[in-house]
Parts: sequence; C-alpha cells; structure tokens
Amino acid sequence: MTSPEPTGTAVRSHEVLGLRSPLTPLETAAKARRFGSFYYADMWIRRMRGYQWTVLMTAVGTPLVYLLGMGTGLAVLIDGNTNAGFPGAGGSTVSYLVFLGPALVATAALMVSSEENTYTIMGGFKWHRTYYGPNASPLSSGQIALGHVMGLTVRILFTTVIYYLFLLAFGAVEQPATGWLMVFTALLAGLAFGMPLMAFSATLKEDKGQFAMVQRFIVMPLFLFSGTFFPLDSLPLAVRWIGWVSPLWHSTELGRVLSYGHPEPAVMTAVHVVYLLVLAVGGLVLARRNFTRRLDG
Amino acid sequence: MSVENRTAPTALVPQDRFLGSLYGRNIRAVIARGLKATWGTNWSIMVSGFVEPVLYLVAMGIGLGALVGTVVGPGGQEMEYANFIAPALLAVSAMNGAVYDSTMNVFFKLNYARLYEGMLSTPLGPLDVAMGEIFLALLRGAMYATGFTAVMGAMGLITSPWALLMIPAAVVIAFGFASFGMAVTSYMKTFQQLDWVNMIMLPMFLLSATFYPLSVYPEAVQSVIQALPLWHGVELLRQISVGIFSWGTAGHLLYFVVMIVLGLTLTTNRLRALFLK
Repeated sequence: MTSPEPTGTAVRSHEVLGLRSPLTPLETAAKARRFGSFYYADMWIRRMRGYQWTVLMTAVGTPLVYLLGMGTGLAVLIDGNTNAGFPGAGGSTVSYLVFLGPALVATAALMVSSEENTYTIMGGFKWHRTYYGPNASPLSSGQIALGHVMGLTVRILFTTVIYYLFLLAFGAVEQPATGWLMVFTALLAGLAFGMPLMAFSATLKEDKGQFAMVQRFIVMPLFLFSGTFFPLDSLPLAVRWIGWVSPLWHSTELGRVLSYGHPEPAVMTAVHVVYLLVLAVGGLVLARRNFTRRLDG
Repeated sequence: MSVENRTAPTALVPQDRFLGSLYGRNIRAVIARGLKATWGTNWSIMVSGFVEPVLYLVAMGIGLGALVGTVVGPGGQEMEYANFIAPALLAVSAMNGAVYDSTMNVFFKLNYARLYEGMLSTPLGPLDVAMGEIFLALLRGAMYATGFTAVMGAMGLITSPWALLMIPAAVVIAFGFASFGMAVTSYMKTFQQLDWVNMIMLPMFLLSATFYPLSVYPEAVQSVIQALPLWHGVELLRQISVGIFSWGTAGHLLYFVVMIVLGLTLTTNRLRALFLK
C-alpha cells in the first residue's frame, strides 16, 4: 500500500491562496540546524521570566547599595586620607568613586555568570532535564550550549548596562566617550570566568557541595583579591598572584583605562584583552565538548 | 519476682506541662538528629564556612587598610583599619550564618524534606523544633566565631583580653537573627522569595558602619542605620574587642534580647499555625 503524495495538491492550493507552502520535515530540520542556538537562547530568556524580579533586583538593587556604601560612605574615609588619590589620565588623580566604578561593573558580571553557570547547568542535566527536550530535536548539543551562552550574555549585558547608567548618575565616569565600553569589558569578565565554570558544571553527576566550594574558594577570593576595592599593589606578593590570574582584575584594569584613562602601557592592555578572550573561547570550546559528551554519549 | 512495668508513662498530658502543647521538653532529640545529619552529609561545607570572613579580613584589612590608615574607634581613640573592621566582620558573619541557616536550610526542611511535619507528629512541640534548630545554627556560629577570633589573634589584631568575650557576644547576635529568620521563612512559598532575604542583608552588610565609622553619614541617615540590628551587633563587638564599655554596650545587648524574645514568640506561633491546626 502506498500513501498518497500530498505535496502536489498542497503546493497547488497554497499557490491559489497566495500562501507559502508548508515546510517539509527536512526543511524544518535544516532551519533548526541553522538557527538552533537562537531557538535555545530564546527559550532560555523566556525561562528567565520565571525569576524576572530576582534579575531586576540584582541588576538595580546591587549597584545602588554598593555605590552608596562603598562609593560614597567608604570614599569619605579614603578621599579624606591625603596619601590616597588614584593616578588618572595625564598625571591627574581621580576620586575613590571613579576608581571603584569599573570594578563594580565587572564584579556584577562575574556574579551573574557564576550564578547562571552552576546550578542551572547541572539542573539542566540532572534535575530539570531542560537539555533533553531540545536534544531530541534536530538541535545539536553544541547549539544548546551556545544558546545557553547567548542567553547568559543577554542577562549580563542587561545588568552591566544598568550598572553603567548608575555610575553615570553618581558621576563616577570621567570619560563617558570611551567609558561606556566597560559594559563590554565587564561582559568579557563574565564570560572568561563563566565559560570554564560552565564546562566544569556540565561534568558534574552529583551535587556534593562542589558549588558551595567554588563559591567559597574561587569566586570569593577572586572578588576580594582582584584590585576591586584597592589597587592590587597594596597586597603582599604572596596573594597578588590571585589578581593576576583573575579575569576580574584584567577586566577591571581595562575598564579603568576606558573610564578615566588609568595610566598603563598599551602592551598590558593587549594582554588583558587576549587573556580574557583565551579564557572565554577556550572555556566555550570545552563546555561544548562536555555538553556533547554528556548529551550524545 | 518483680514484673517489669512495660506500660508507657502516663505523664504526657500536655495541659499539665509548662507551655502546654507547645513544648515537649525534648529539644535534645532535634539537636541530636541535626548533628547526625550534618556529620553524615556535609561537614566539609560546614567547616569551611568560616573561611569567608577571614578572606574579607585579609583583603580589606591589609589592602584597604593601606589606603585608609587609621580610623576613630570606640571611646574616640585612633585604631588601625584592620582592628576596626575585624569585629564588624565577625558580627556580619554571625548574621549571615544565622540567617542562611534559618532561611535556606529551614525552607528546604519545611517545604521539601517535610522534616518538621514528621517531628511535630511526635510528642515534640513547635518550641522544641524551633529551639533545636536555632541551637544547631548557634553551635555552628560559635564554631566560626572561635575560628575567626583565633585568626584575629594570629594576625595580631587582639589588643585586649576582653576580646575573648566576642565569641559569646557573636552567639547572642546570631541568636537574634536566627530566631527571626525562621519566622520569616515560614511565610515563604517559593525559592525566589529567598532572594529577598539577600536584598535585606546586603544593604545591612555594606551600610551598617562595617567598613567606615557612622560619622561619615548625615544625621538623618545615621538614625536610620542605628535602627538596624546589624549596627548594634557591629558596635557591640567593636566595643568588646578593645574593652571599652559604656551604657551603649548594655543598650546593644538589650536590643538583641528583645529581638530574641520577639523572634522566638513569632516562630513558635507560626509553626503552630502551620502544623497544629
């Protein structure tokens, strides 16, 4: 028994009505393969609406509190100290608030990234199994991973843009012409830290408190020893290396160059960019490999 | 030949007991269960919890201290920045530990593990459960406070023997926060609501004169900060750490005593409303 060939009539009737003909399964699959990452990113962003108040609160509340507490409160103490004053463009000095600004934006990106690349990833494999539905479709595992990263990028950008606007409102940006680029250098910090973490989270089979350990022994030290609240040089050499390997420090230094012309040789600026890119891209490659192994294996 | 009496004691008449059905005089059982559960699953996470305030102390005390120099401490005397923030960080750690234990942890046990439902179907009362859980949180807090004080000593930040009293004082602070945290948790329905807790704690942490003296604020802001519990905790530990006391010290302590009584009352009532309808 042969099934009747429906395409002929369908094409004809659609031509009459002036509609496009329906896609064949092969065409649908090809489309999914072409735009798969976007499909997944779309789903990821919609899912984020489930906790949109958290997203908004961390994006708006955190900068406000940090800028009030550290940027104005602590600044009274530090700016009042005559020895302080942070080197700016052309031999000038800038206030503590201006010095702090780029570090806070980069920190926010790092925090969002560490939140989204831990339990969310593991939950996608283990508890909520969000990856297995898309994986049964023509989407490839690599596209699922990439779509995830695209969604994350949107959330980080949302956070950093709002943070930057707060900095402007507090008068913490000396050179707005280049300063706005710190939104992207902060994003780079988020990805440079988040991609390797994503690759790690994708390998976890059991939650034995590894994420609490990551938070305690990696995220916290990076946050505190990356020249965030004070120049890295104030620390003894024994802990200064934490700053050197920290994506947060590299991104913060870039932000400072852009925001107020922090004096720095051009070579160092290049090193910062390359280091962050290597971490982000290398991490993404690893993450895609781990996603593929786990979903296809 | 005496026959052993195997009949259960008939003294379990709630109305004759102190606090009636609220209190089964068996906090021990709740504590024993908690200790056993902790030791079996996540003791390494528990133990490493004291690392965070130490990291803050090293980073801020040394790095930021180089920028700040000296600060005016209790009694108007100048002190090194690390000496100034160390007791404040201990107060923050007492608050954080107590609040995380009594919100996230309790939320999970309340809504997912259904632990309290089981406990309350035994002769245990809501006050036993509340006190037992809070005791566990305090035990952990006391452990962290001891560790932190030892690190302070190793860094040469202890200048007065009074500083040892910071350990029990930190436990009192933790008690205040823990007794309230559990009551607040009982109102929560989703995980996301826990984020609101963070949004209360972060401003308190940053604004309660932790990293700089209260005097940097204008008068109006000062009185708002002085109403917050963490400010009282920070001031209390700061005064103890240098051994300079005033009537204010007693005021800070009284603040926490009131907080503990109110929080415990509220928590017990909430647990009764949830489970003993």
